[in-house]
Amino acid sequence: MKFSRNVAKPLWESKDNEHLKGGFSGYHGVAEVRTIAADKLVDELQALKTDAERPFPVLFDLTAIDESQMVNRPDKATHRFTAQYTVWNPSKDDRILIKVPVDDETLKLPTVEGVYKNANWYEREVYDMFGISFEGHPYLRRILMPEWWEGFPLRKDHANRATEMAPLVVTPNMLEDFEGYENFNASGDSVMRRVSDTGEELMVINLGPNHPGTHGVLRVVLTLNGEYMEKVLPVIGYHHRGAEKMAERQTFHTYIPYCDRVDYLGGTNNEMPYVMACEKLAGVEVPARAQMARVLLAELYRICNHLVWLGTLGHDVGAMTPVFYTFREREHLFKISEMITGGRMHPNFLRIGGMSMDLPPGWREPLKFFLKDFDKALTEYDQLLIQNPIFKSRTKQVGVMSEEECLEWGVTGPNLRGSGSKLDLRKTNPYSGYEQFEFDIPSDTGGDCWSRAMVRHAEMEQSARIIRQCIDLMPEGDYISRDNRYAFPPKKAETMMDIETLINHFLAVGWGLDLPAGESLGMVEGPKGVIGYHVVSDGRTSPYRLRVRAPSFAHMQTLPALSEGHLLSDLLANIAAMDFVLADIDR
Amino acid sequence: MTGALSNEPLWYQLLIAVIKASVLMGALLGVTGWLVLAERKIIAWLQGRPGPNRAGPMGLFQPVADVLKLLTKEESIPPFVNKILFIAAPAIITITAMVSYAIIPWGPNPVWGAISNLNLGVLLFLALSSLGVYSIVLAGWSSNSKYAVLGGLRATAQMISYELSLSMALLAAVMMAGTLNFQLIVEAQRPFWFILLQPLGFFIFFVSAIAESRRTPFDLPEAENELVAGFHTEYSAMKFALFFLGEYMGVILLSGIMATVYLGGYQGPILPGPVWMILKIAVLFFVFVWIRATYPRFRYDHLMQIGWKWLIPLAVLNLIITAVLCLTFPNLVPNAIH
Amino acid sequence: MAQNILFYLAAVMAVATTSMVVITRNAVYAVLYLIMSLFAVALVFLSLNAPFLALVEIIVYAGAIMVLFLFVVMMLNLQGQRGDEATKRPTRRQMIVPGALALLLLILIVVSLSAGTPAATNAALSDPKLLGELLFTKHYLGVKLSGIILLIGTIGGLHIGRGGSIPSTMEKPIDDVTH
Repeated sequence: MKFSRNVAKPLWESKDNEHLKGGFSGYHGVAEVRTIAADKLVDELQALKTDAERPFPVLFDLTAIDESQMVNRPDKATHRFTAQYTVWNPSKDDRILIKVPVDDETLKLPTVEGVYKNANWYEREVYDMFGISFEGHPYLRRILMPEWWEGFPLRKDHANRATEMAPLVVTPNMLEDFEGYENFNASGDSVMRRVSDTGEELMVINLGPNHPGTHGVLRVVLTLNGEYMEKVLPVIGYHHRGAEKMAERQTFHTYIPYCDRVDYLGGTNNEMPYVMACEKLAGVEVPARAQMARVLLAELYRICNHLVWLGTLGHDVGAMTPVFYTFREREHLFKISEMITGGRMHPNFLRIGGMSMDLPPGWREPLKFFLKDFDKALTEYDQLLIQNPIFKSRTKQVGVMSEEECLEWGVTGPNLRGSGSKLDLRKTNPYSGYEQFEFDIPSDTGGDCWSRAMVRHAEMEQSARIIRQCIDLMPEGDYISRDNRYAFPPKKAETMMDIETLINHFLAVGWGLDLPAGESLGMVEGPKGVIGYHVVSDGRTSPYRLRVRAPSFAHMQTLPALSEGHLLSDLLANIAAMDFVLADIDR
Repeated sequence: MTGALSNEPLWYQLLIAVIKASVLMGALLGVTGWLVLAERKIIAWLQGRPGPNRAGPMGLFQPVADVLKLLTKEESIPPFVNKILFIAAPAIITITAMVSYAIIPWGPNPVWGAISNLNLGVLLFLALSSLGVYSIVLAGWSSNSKYAVLGGLRATAQMISYELSLSMALLAAVMMAGTLNFQLIVEAQRPFWFILLQPLGFFIFFVSAIAESRRTPFDLPEAENELVAGFHTEYSAMKFALFFLGEYMGVILLSGIMATVYLGGYQGPILPGPVWMILKIAVLFFVFVWIRATYPRFRYDHLMQIGWKWLIPLAVLNLIITAVLCLTFPNLVPNAIH
Repeated sequence: MAQNILFYLAAVMAVATTSMVVITRNAVYAVLYLIMSLFAVALVFLSLNAPFLALVEIIVYAGAIMVLFLFVVMMLNLQGQRGDEATKRPTRRQMIVPGALALLLLILIVVSLSAGTPAATNAALSDPKLLGELLFTKHYLGVKLSGIILLIGTIGGLHIGRGGSIPSTMEKPIDDVTH
């Protein structure tokens, strides 16, 4: 297999001709881009949300860009910050990217929290990361960084690494933050009250950040009236690692391993939206074999994710055994993943234009062996846990959320489908060749934790079905695109055959790829919900801005709505049934 | 207070009691460690993993290692606790559990069959098991920490509630036997084991026993996912070990009572009485472990509902049915009060 | 002989712990002293050859009722010490009436004790079967009446208990959640 010369152009040549000189390559992954002035924002969004013909019921994402260091700025404007609102119509998969210039003097925007409820946390995040404040926001306060942090991390003038900053000195006021949720509210009300409406004294409990039931460093501040929760306040940010900031100093390729670590149970499901966004930007076609292999891995990791989820849900409602059964199957899958990708939890397998390697010879056999017994295992989980009367009593009518509320909060994935929806990106907007497969979208109308369990259980079955079809249908051919301006040439031996490929490879590895300037949104149906990677490139070797729209962040925001007024035990059921990963929330 | 030895001198009575007590206590304390190992092994097998297997062959010395670890650990008493009660709490549960063993009959011999062949044995068992609650309450309160208090409150409500159904189930059996003496209860089962005459009573007693010993699916007081470790969150080293010991002794005790009252106690062919007793206790203990490995945990309000809306009415019903049975079929249960 | 020693030990303990119930400031300690006092009384019963009463005393009072007492006291204690009347040292004037009542009680006890030696232990006290027969034949009315009183107490307790507000799980509107 040799790489043809007509595609392999020297990098400097293509750079001059197509990329920077060609200028802005456009916006990918969204149907339309609009610019709205800040003062009209609320009205326009309200109109968009309730539009008769083309409604956008979901605020998919809300973030900002610091454009102060952007070369070849497409809008030729001079304001420093641009807020970006991505609104989404999930049933038609129609997306609009709304850009709102932020006034340099005041750094203020109106809050859209009254239009889309889930804007609450997103606006806090923008405030936290960029220092843009939102007028009228009920609880504007840092969300990911600690309260005493100086500076705004995603601004371009903020240091990239700790070594670029002065050493951190811990002062007593940094520690005071812990009980500091007393008197902080825009309207001056105390958020965590110690006395209820009827005059009962309430107990304030810090559930976490170190607690056996929170799946990681999540902190939930609760006020308890007896065992009933009056107020639930999730406090996140303990797992914040700056995945978005890191992207700004990684090259497009070296960022791929970081994707694995965002939702670390999702494996390739996180790499996929990122490489898809980059591919759209570069205009690279992915060969059919690579596309189907991606689907294969995505479904494999979806099963892995759901297995962990099912086991830990069982464990969180007090059943100690299911987790060992689900991990038994997961171990099988990890062995298969290790055989295919070389990695277990963090495969780092996808590349821009395809995959890093071809599927190994004989890859079908272990998969067939696994699938043979998997149905039996699924029945076992169903009988042992899901149909167990105590489990039902713990999860039915717990954490109920209707379909409309789910959309309002930006809840996607199995949690949304547990509320009766049939929305799934794999069907509404098939990517990576999902249209070739026969599979159903399981959904359940209960809207409670048990429905979420049912949906995920059925989803594992469907994923197994897709994997079976992958085994039968897998086409032969390239596993990575031959467009090796952006895609790595497959093998060293072939790289050495002609000079252009060698040069391209050398530059791509040593210097980094410079994707065309532009913006691109990659979205996939991840195991936990819709994952979106919004890549902004200004033609240089690193993403100018990378936005990770994580499903867990949106889901965690619903925790108060799900839990308030219920028993403490229900909080744990809700947390477990929600399916989140702390790294995915905090990024 | 009266027994076969009441005519003997006091020192002789005391000597025999001390001998019996030391043998049983020694056996119990020794066995508890291996019961923990047995539970871990059984659960491990149910879950498809090997279980503890590093200390000695098949992990048989694991209890030794555990005890050594617990003994040599630092005894830490957090500064914010109520010291006296904090120390007293773990002692209470162990003591009440241990004293209760005095009344379990291991054989038909009136002198050597049980440490104390008490006429009011059933009442003593109920009295001691109702005192065990104090251990949990005081541990929760004296720890002076929120999770411990929540665990303590849960435990108190739970144990008080389930004690009612437990004693009522037991009373029905007492009615059939016509005595409060455990040894005589066993003897009253010569024709039929009471599990055959009292299936409902056995069921109620079993469920209540699981709740009384705070094990899955009734392990709310120490639900780790919610309350970290519940009432013993602040405990460590030997004081924690005492809670652990108390829990296991409670499980064996309740298994022993069930074996005595419902499964014919030490009766059985060929093998001697104590062996039968141990076998029956082992089977019941296995069921305890099996249930723990299988079921999720109840929610607090469901637990209360089951206790008050199901078990107690059922226990009352059982009591009435038993009374009617005893009066209408006097030949079925010859010892019953008519 | 042994029983006499037991009796006096238990009696002294009962008096001492009961006084501590009154003296101690800490409500939880007071409850615990009361439990000890009940134990001592149970021991007294035991020494008088009434094991049934002794055990019933422990089961009913120490085992059930006092746990509830402790439960309530702990719940109150949990919400922080308030400058209550209860924790202050009483003034002399406040001492007069309780003091007089206590004195009266003491005199009554001394008089009744000095009137004669304790009655010979009744066989019914040690045999539950006899006791039961006695209760349900001779003292039938008393048992019935106390049963009715307990029933009234239960209904009253239920009524008071239902007055409290338990947050309804479903009523909370979802708009309420705006941090």
